[in-house]
Amino acid sequence: MRVNPNFVPDIENALNQSQAELNTALEDVATGKSVNQPSDNPIASAALVQNQIETADVDQYTQNVSSASSQVEAASSALSNVVSLLTKAVADGTQGANGTTSASGLQSLVQDVQDVMTSVVSQANATFQGTFLFGGTDTANTPFTPNGSGTGYTYNGNEGQNSVSIGDNQTIQVNMPGDQIFDNSSASVLGALTGLVTALQTAATASQGGGTVSAADTQAISTATSNVNSALNVVSQQQEFYGNVDSQLSSQTTFLQQETVSLTSQQNTLEGVNLAQAATNLTQAETDNSAALAAAAKVMPNSLLNFLSNPT
Amino acid sequence: MGGLTTSLFIGSQALEAAEGALNATSNNIANANTPGYTREVPQFTEGAENLTDGVVTGGGVSLSSLQSIRDELLNNQIAQQTSAQSSVDTQSSSLQNIQTLFTSNGEDIGSALSTLSSALTQLSASPSSGSAQQAVLSAGQQLAQAFNTTANGLTSAQSAADGQVSETVSQINTLTQQIAQLNSQVGQLTAQGQDGGTVEDQRDQLVQQLSQLTGVQVSQSSNGEDTITTGNGSPLVVGNQSFALQTTTGTNGFQQVIDSSGNNITSQIQGGTLGGAIQIRDTTIPGFLSSLNALATQLGTAFNAAQTGGFDSTGAAGQDFFNVPTTGGAAAGISVALTSPSQIAISSTATGASGSNGNVANLSAALTTAPTAGGSSVENGYSSLVFQVGNAASNASTESSAIGDTLQALTNQQGSESGVSIDEETSNMIKFQTAYEAAARIVSTIQQLDTDTMDMGSSQSF
Repeated sequence: MRVNPNFVPDIENALNQSQAELNTALEDVATGKSVNQPSDNPIASAALVQNQIETADVDQYTQNVSSASSQVEAASSALSNVVSLLTKAVADGTQGANGTTSASGLQSLVQDVQDVMTSVVSQANATFQGTFLFGGTDTANTPFTPNGSGTGYTYNGNEGQNSVSIGDNQTIQVNMPGDQIFDNSSASVLGALTGLVTALQTAATASQGGGTVSAADTQAISTATSNVNSALNVVSQQQEFYGNVDSQLSSQTTFLQQETVSLTSQQNTLEGVNLAQAATNLTQAETDNSAALAAAAKVMPNSLLNFLSNPT
Repeated sequence: MGGLTTSLFIGSQALEAAEGALNATSNNIANANTPGYTREVPQFTEGAENLTDGVVTGGGVSLSSLQSIRDELLNNQIAQQTSAQSSVDTQSSSLQNIQTLFTSNGEDIGSALSTLSSALTQLSASPSSGSAQQAVLSAGQQLAQAFNTTANGLTSAQSAADGQVSETVSQINTLTQQIAQLNSQVGQLTAQGQDGGTVEDQRDQLVQQLSQLTGVQVSQSSNGEDTITTGNGSPLVVGNQSFALQTTTGTNGFQQVIDSSGNNITSQIQGGTLGGAIQIRDTTIPGFLSSLNALATQLGTAFNAAQTGGFDSTGAAGQDFFNVPTTGGAAAGISVALTSPSQIAISSTATGASGSNGNVANLSAALTTAPTAGGSSVENGYSSLVFQVGNAASNASTESSAIGDTLQALTNQQGSESGVSIDEETSNMIKFQTAYEAAARIVSTIQQLDTDTMDMGSSQSF
């Protein structure tokens, strides 16, 4: 059979192919990615779109968890302060109710509890990054301000609760409206403190100038103190809410870290290049290319003419 | 019995034949690298025998013709494969351009979706932060722009293919005219009993070029003239007459191909640059565009529904986030309707709306949740569009290399039949050189014998 005498197209084709393989191998090694455009691997490209979105989301969830966690810790620490302030007020109240405290002693107790009151209100109005911790979702109004009559405090916040996204379709409530903590219907912190101040004030006024404190007055102090104690229990309970949220957030942090690792590993699997494999492919492609070139150089100049003697 | 004159005649005929054969050989060598050239083989014929005095003697040799070695069937197969390859190559090169629109580069729809999604997540943590609100609005604008850019990229690829259609049609018309002229020359040669030779080579070469432009069917009549029609049977060349295709702007704004009888054959054209460009323009890109438009509409509708279900930072009911045009392309025209970050419906309640984030989850869900009517979420929808585009591009290039292999095998086969082998021609050259030398020796020998005969009986000879 006659063979195709024109092997140039075959040689060109072989050279083209080995050059293309060399380019691919080189690109794989240089970029470290095997998917540089959708046609390289359509399925992986589609999965990478999701992976990209998911990765960005998980990054943001992680940031959300961290900022939620700071907010919750700030709230929790404010409530801890309130608990110790209230404990102090209870001690003051107990002292005031023992019936032996002098007029000046009672007066300084009044002052003490008033200071506690001011501190508690300032904790109740605490802010985190410019947002009130205990104002519900209201960001404009200071949660607790003295009421018009000067006898107590008004709650200006709302009952809104914000839930922060910390995972796909997963949110966590990070705040509690301030009135549920400080003006709870079962035991109001601010109400109880106001009551204690009033009771101590009454006793102090009665004992002024050598007067005596009536049993009823003492009883009133005792009742007010026990109200403060109940309010303290309420605050402690609410503090648990923040403790729970905080522990959920830290377990979510662990989950998100694992998620990040698995997304990164998925991304690697989808578009990453096995470097050892890629380097081997590159060497292989280089060898193929050199072989094709060497073969072309060897075969192309050959013809019968090389072996004929010149006509004399 | 023939005399010396007969031998002299036979010798000079042999000289002519060898000379003709050497011509063919040198022409073969000269055209060894000419595209479309088919080698010519000298056809020697024995001369009529002589019967003289009861003895039959040979009548010498004559060079009856030079025959080109070609295989029409192979040529037709090559033409078909050339059309198929040229079609997928046209599509492949357009798809290579298109797929860059869907490659993750920070400006694509995928990156914009990702940015919007994480901006919303951030907003859920700091609903009253002006910068978080602005981030959502900017991400929305980026997404709308990504949709616009992608849609415009697809449309311009479509216009480029449309331009290719009219250009290709005018090239086809030029080629068919030339083929018709060559056809009549081949017909004349055939009528004279000669091989079409180089004229036929030229015509076959033009037919190969034509098959690169569009799929054709070629049949050869007994007089050597080609009849060429498009795949669906519209005539392009019949004998020495060519039939021009025309283009006219169709109702869809694109060039339609009209055959010589006035029929619109656009949708029936297959193969070649023309077939590939029409396929890309009328099927592939419209498919991508309609998916993209559906995606833009789905995004706009879902996001607007979530937005109008909530309340903005001033406590007012949420307004539409995106403007989605209902006429024209949704993807090309989608834009952000909101003018201020405070208009984002972050809250689910009207009272105390400024710091509440109740509606952010609904906005996020608009991206990730599949519509209740069925189908997939915006994110999944985009990801499957990326698959579609990548798959089309990858298939086209796989197909191209598969057809390339077939074509190469066919071309090799054609080369083995029709190609000029320098080795073979060199051997022939030596063969015909020897034949020429031998014939020349016959002539000189006869001449010597003639002289000897003349000198017979003369004293000088002895």
